[in-house]
Amino acid sequence: MLYALGSSQFSWVLSLSLRKKERKKHKHKYKSVMVVVMASSLTVTNTLSSPKLKTLYKKLSIPIPTPLSSRLLYNPKTLSSLSLSLNLKHRSFAARADSQNGAEPPSHYDFDLFTIGAGSGGVRASRFAANFGASVAVCELPFSPISSETTGGVGGTCVLRGCVPKKLMVYASHYSHEFEESRGFGWKYDVEPKHDWSTLMANKNAELQRLTGIYKNVLKNAGVTLIEGRGKIVDPHTIDVDGKLYSARHILISVGGRPFIPEIPGSEYVIDSDAALDLPSKPEKIAIVGGGYIALEFAGIFNGLTTEVHVFIRQKKVLRGFDEEIRDFVAEQISLRGIEFHTEESPQAIIKSSDGSLSLKTNKGTAEGFSHVMFATGRRPNTKNLGLETVGVKMTKNGAIEVDEYSRTSVPSIWAVGDVTDRVNLTPVALMEGGALAKTLFQNEPTKPDYRAIPSAVFSQPPIGQVGLTEEQAIREYGDVDIFMANFRPLKATLSGLPDRVLMKLVVCAKTNKVLGLHMCGEDSPEIVQGFAVAVKAGLTKADFDATVGIHPTAGEEFVTMRTPTRKIRQTAEGKTDSEVKATAGV
Amino acid sequence: MARKMLIDGEVSQPNEEEAHYDFDLFVIGAGSGGVRASRFSATYGAKVGICELPFHPISSEVIGGVGGTCVIRGCVPKKILVYGASFRGEIEDARNYGWEVSEKIDFNWKKLLHKKTEEIVRLNGIYKRLLNNAGVKLYEGEGKIVGPNEVEVTQLDGTKLSYTAKHILISTGSRATRPAIPGQELSITSDEALSLEELPKRAVILGGGYIAVEFASIWNGMGVTVDLFFRKELPLRGFDDEMRAVVARNLESRGINLHPRANLSELIKTEDGIKVITDHGEELIADVVLFATGRSPNTKRLNLEAVGVEVDQTGAVKVDEYSRTNIPSIWAVGDVTNRMNLTPVALMEGTCFAKTVFGGQPCKPDHKDVACAVFSIPPLSAVGLSEEQAIEEAHGDVLVFTSTFNPMKNTISGRQEKTIMKLVVDADTDKVLGASMCGPDAPEIIQGIAVAVKCGATKAQFDSTVGIHPSAAEEFVTMRSVTRRVSAGSKPKTNL
Repeated sequence: MLYALGSSQFSWVLSLSLRKKERKKHKHKYKSVMVVVMASSLTVTNTLSSPKLKTLYKKLSIPIPTPLSSRLLYNPKTLSSLSLSLNLKHRSFAARADSQNGAEPPSHYDFDLFTIGAGSGGVRASRFAANFGASVAVCELPFSPISSETTGGVGGTCVLRGCVPKKLMVYASHYSHEFEESRGFGWKYDVEPKHDWSTLMANKNAELQRLTGIYKNVLKNAGVTLIEGRGKIVDPHTIDVDGKLYSARHILISVGGRPFIPEIPGSEYVIDSDAALDLPSKPEKIAIVGGGYIALEFAGIFNGLTTEVHVFIRQKKVLRGFDEEIRDFVAEQISLRGIEFHTEESPQAIIKSSDGSLSLKTNKGTAEGFSHVMFATGRRPNTKNLGLETVGVKMTKNGAIEVDEYSRTSVPSIWAVGDVTDRVNLTPVALMEGGALAKTLFQNEPTKPDYRAIPSAVFSQPPIGQVGLTEEQAIREYGDVDIFMANFRPLKATLSGLPDRVLMKLVVCAKTNKVLGLHMCGEDSPEIVQGFAVAVKAGLTKADFDATVGIHPTAGEEFVTMRTPTRKIRQTAEGKTDSEVKATAGV
Repeated sequence: MARKMLIDGEVSQPNEEEAHYDFDLFVIGAGSGGVRASRFSATYGAKVGICELPFHPISSEVIGGVGGTCVIRGCVPKKILVYGASFRGEIEDARNYGWEVSEKIDFNWKKLLHKKTEEIVRLNGIYKRLLNNAGVKLYEGEGKIVGPNEVEVTQLDGTKLSYTAKHILISTGSRATRPAIPGQELSITSDEALSLEELPKRAVILGGGYIAVEFASIWNGMGVTVDLFFRKELPLRGFDDEMRAVVARNLESRGINLHPRANLSELIKTEDGIKVITDHGEELIADVVLFATGRSPNTKRLNLEAVGVEVDQTGAVKVDEYSRTNIPSIWAVGDVTNRMNLTPVALMEGTCFAKTVFGGQPCKPDHKDVACAVFSIPPLSAVGLSEEQAIEEAHGDVLVFTSTFNPMKNTISGRQEKTIMKLVVDADTDKVLGASMCGPDAPEIIQGIAVAVKCGATKAQFDSTVGIHPSAAEEFVTMRSVTRRVSAGSKPKTNL
């Protein structure tokens, strides 16, 4: 099996490289394709609406020599004519592509690519594939805020049930902290600010509707055919969508994952993160089971919106896999904001009492009086009823699709990206995988997604941002590491009087001086860490960090002004770890 | 060469000669640069003395305070007021997120002023302790240079102390200046603006630099009617033109009245307030008129002429790349040298000075790719070259990547304010020459980007970095399509 996979891959790469030569002749065509890539991405985020800015452009008379000009923004006519020419071209390309591959008869398939699931990875792969000239269709379940076997929606988890609504709720809930802070800065409220749940839900849902519409448009503008319905694989080149059959040269599975709730007595009373993002009314008192990022994010959301929050975790600490110091720090900061942690408690049953309130029975006892019990106990890939077993797509015991480094499954014409492969379950990673796949399949550039130094964030309150290795991982991999740390009260907190602190940490390889990891917990961490992620990914050294001048006064500047190691960890001859502790130099 | 020998000579010299001096180093001015240089020199084993004027929020010829401009009259109190002012926008934004906030919200300026003063007094104490812990001897009084190796400190009671020192460091910083128009005495500078007894109802600000823009945002956030006058078409000369346009638009949309291409010609005291007359003949009445028209180095009373320390026409002390003046034993760092007037730059200069003179490692401060921020609301931050600078300096083509978007928070709050980000890339080398951003958290976001730019990261390295979703910052690593390519030949001239 393995051998077969390898050889087919070889011939496939060969056929791609053959096509490359052919392509060079048509370079001008790809230029116009690229214009549409840009234009469609602009409809999502980039709109220069201001008349003032437009006039500024004119005033500056910035020369815009290439077709990739920002003038396109103001000229919808150019856009439509370009996308028209694109449509014509990708048709001819599809034919040409097919004729290139001697093994397959020309025009045999309905589509070059059929994608099942229009979430982050699927939309990205489809759009890019179309922009590279492929004919693409994508199928997706009908829209609903809460996912099921029969509901989903264009945009996927990120847009409808994950990153976006979560962040909107984080914004909403963070205001209560800001009201508190503002008092220290001289602001006074005649009446205590009160939160109206229904306003938030209505505005949040309107935004989700808008975004799902934008995603549909993005697909449409890229020339991708969107089919609503449940896709199922019939054979390596055929997909069934609610009874209708489509053939495709390549099939991409990007159906994502869904919250998983363990079967315990009373689990029917439990809500998952899908439901938690769309509750009809504010929970009065909620039990959240789980110690991962979803649990902590919802704890912060509900706490900020004045719900009484209890978090039950099986282990001693939250956020397994994160840097140990960050784990301790974030738990302490969260507790200070009024959330109660119940550690080393495993849920055993949920009991509904006569007054309608819920009790959570754990190995340690029973906690009563909850209006809601939420489980944030993991997510599982959506691989049931996809027809995978029949075509022989291999899966792990968790139900995740097994793929190689190019996101190819055990069936050569079937590929998978995103959460359904359970590699690194983050939107930007799915985007990277989708982008890489489109390049591999339709741009003659076999591209492996690069999993090194992927930054990530937890939107707890305060949030966490991190990139690279934790201290523990670094010690395991490199032995000798230097740890630089800053744990301080930010300027804002000295005025507000709140107990907010910030923890920042650099993990540096003692031998090479390379920054192996960077961790932060405190306001703005995710925004601060992104830029540093570029530096860490580029393999920059501590000396490079030190050579950078700070921006004053910011929290971020601490990362470039850490002069003295907090501790130096050295492997002793016996293989034991020795830690030499030094005092920091102070302010 | 001669300089190098001198430095090397000092490092290798035996200690006997140093016995002639009271101090190895005497520093005049305990601001960011002076405190850093003193502490680090002391850490290297030098015997260090430092003098500073007595503390007060508002500086003068005879008033200063340990901590200097940054801590007492600059970065720190300014940022505190920016925090305070930002809450107005936050409270407005909260409504569409479901928060019912009463229409009437009070802002108590006196409370914030009091807490701000408390905080800078606390920091002043911390700085004093830092010096003390490092073994630096602090003198309160006005320092003057008497000879190449001699300083005189006039103490509060008028008594004079005289000390000899092997090296003298001038780090007296700078002070706000006012243009000489009729009635200028009715105006205030940023010093007073940070410590006003009463919050004005109507403020007029003259100036287009970062101080003017920051105070416009601060007062606007506190509910003051603000009219901002500046000479150019756009504020913030020196920054990327597109960023300047966005800042101007944001100030305007937050309710600040902008008066571009305008100057003030006269201030007249009236019963109703200060009558402000513009060069267009326009008249308006204000409670406070802030002149944010520049700062000049504090060199007048240092007696520099006596030893012949050269200053330029603005009064800034002239120094070489090692911060040494034309007198070999006298050095200068920070705003008094008017190189790049930023706290972290003064810190860098102070550190390099200590390393060079007492650490045995000659070390030039590197002023390239220094990131900076303007704490307008929302803020602006930049590192490296602006688009205009890149085009000016480029040998080949310049690629410009921009992203203008509605921040996620605004989708619900309804605030009409776009965030803009820009990367300027050398088309030949793929190096990112500059990054700039105007929008919430810009200074925090740019700091990490600055590490990458400083180290010559390429656009490909930016692209290979995975985004943090959902953040604003991720836009910097997801700019796939070039917005425009400016060819080497075309160099647009602007005079905004």
